[in-house]
Amino acid sequence: MNLVSERITVDDYEDAVELFFERRWTDGLPVVLPTRRRVEAMIGHVGRDPQESLGAIPPRGGEATIEKLAINAVMGGARPEHFPVVLAAMEALLDPAHNLNGVSQTTHMCVSLVIVNGPIARELEFNSRDGVFGNGYRANAAVGRAVRLALWNLGGAVPWDTDKSTLSHPAEYAFCIAEEEVDNPWPPLHVERGYPAGSDAVTVFACEGPHSVFCYGTPEEMLHVLVDSLGSLGNNNVHVLGQTLVTLNPLNAEEFARRGWSKQDVRAYLWEHTRRTLADVRACGAVHEQFRKMERDAGRYPHRYDLDNPTTRLPVTARPEDIHIIVAGGRSYFAAVLPGWGGFGGFAVTRPIRRPR
Amino acid sequence: MEILSPVWPAATSDRPSKSRPRTLQGATIALVDDNLDIPFTTHLEALLAERFGAKVRRFVKPSGTAPSPPHLIEAAREGAAGAVVGIGL
Repeated sequence: MNLVSERITVDDYEDAVELFFERRWTDGLPVVLPTRRRVEAMIGHVGRDPQESLGAIPPRGGEATIEKLAINAVMGGARPEHFPVVLAAMEALLDPAHNLNGVSQTTHMCVSLVIVNGPIARELEFNSRDGVFGNGYRANAAVGRAVRLALWNLGGAVPWDTDKSTLSHPAEYAFCIAEEEVDNPWPPLHVERGYPAGSDAVTVFACEGPHSVFCYGTPEEMLHVLVDSLGSLGNNNVHVLGQTLVTLNPLNAEEFARRGWSKQDVRAYLWEHTRRTLADVRACGAVHEQFRKMERDAGRYPHRYDLDNPTTRLPVTARPEDIHIIVAGGRSYFAAVLPGWGGFGGFAVTRPIRRPR
Repeated sequence: MEILSPVWPAATSDRPSKSRPRTLQGATIALVDDNLDIPFTTHLEALLAERFGAKVRRFVKPSGTAPSPPHLIEAAREGAAGAVVGIGL
């Protein structure tokens, strides 16, 4: 196999692990050593040219070749069968609509979440149920970390240099979930976004960490608390729109469906009722106003909202379809909202997972 | 054991950097604003003019969250002794 990466000979396992820290090739955690055998197995599984590039990863612009992505995937703990998911996620991240350059460098704390859909999620044992955003599952952890290490080593998004996140959050290590598709009365995310039922796909969306929503009861009661959580004044969405993500647990979704609510019904209700008055958002300060003006100048804040009238009721997204809804987690009392970066980017992008022939 | 590097070798620029101006006195300086905080840039422009007699050329990126387009970088570079970029919050 034609591999072009620098080869480093190290005699001792412990020395090899430490080398990755010394050269700042890891995110602060130890890595699986990318030996030639492991890397070749990763590339061999997908059967693609090692020097094929998916594009330059911002901000530093390192080429995302299959070889370099395989090395970083090995380091993250991925097995060869996980690699097609990593590649689909990278293709989605590099779509200009996601604005990875901005996501990686913003002072905001958003991180690109990877959402896996399709039969492959169950086959590879991605977690979509209890503790879905947490630890304990290799597929979620390894694919999530493989992606983050690629952004680290090839994109150069590191906190002492280009990554200007003010606070960031632990998902910088790994941020990958699967949507629950069996215990779910509604079409899954990738089908809503145009992919066939039964196909495999990955969606990326840059967002904050999950905010807990105590969400249990009738549809009306659940919507009441979801509206309040989505419209928090601390969210970028309230000020500069963009996209946001709602994660309902299977019991929430079942209760909505039992009462005849489709996912689209829920989305339409949330969009229509999650509003803050202009007076309310103006009370947050002049800087917020400046950002809102910038977004209107850029054509991303619709003119139909009168920004001179203090009683204008402002939405959290420009369109209902910018509120993404997935089903995941355990059957319990809690949902989550994951606000986005705002109108600046980080928008959801979906790509199919190409299984090896 | 043999392991493979996860990074590319450090790139070397094929374009020489402009030499830094020895002084700001009377220099022409480009200010490339991220379109986030125009009052800050206006204040900076006034200080450069007042203290150094500098001539300031102002530019505004079309988006504060995406790289400057090449034509804007070239326009800022043209005729300026230096540039201040990435002006935001």
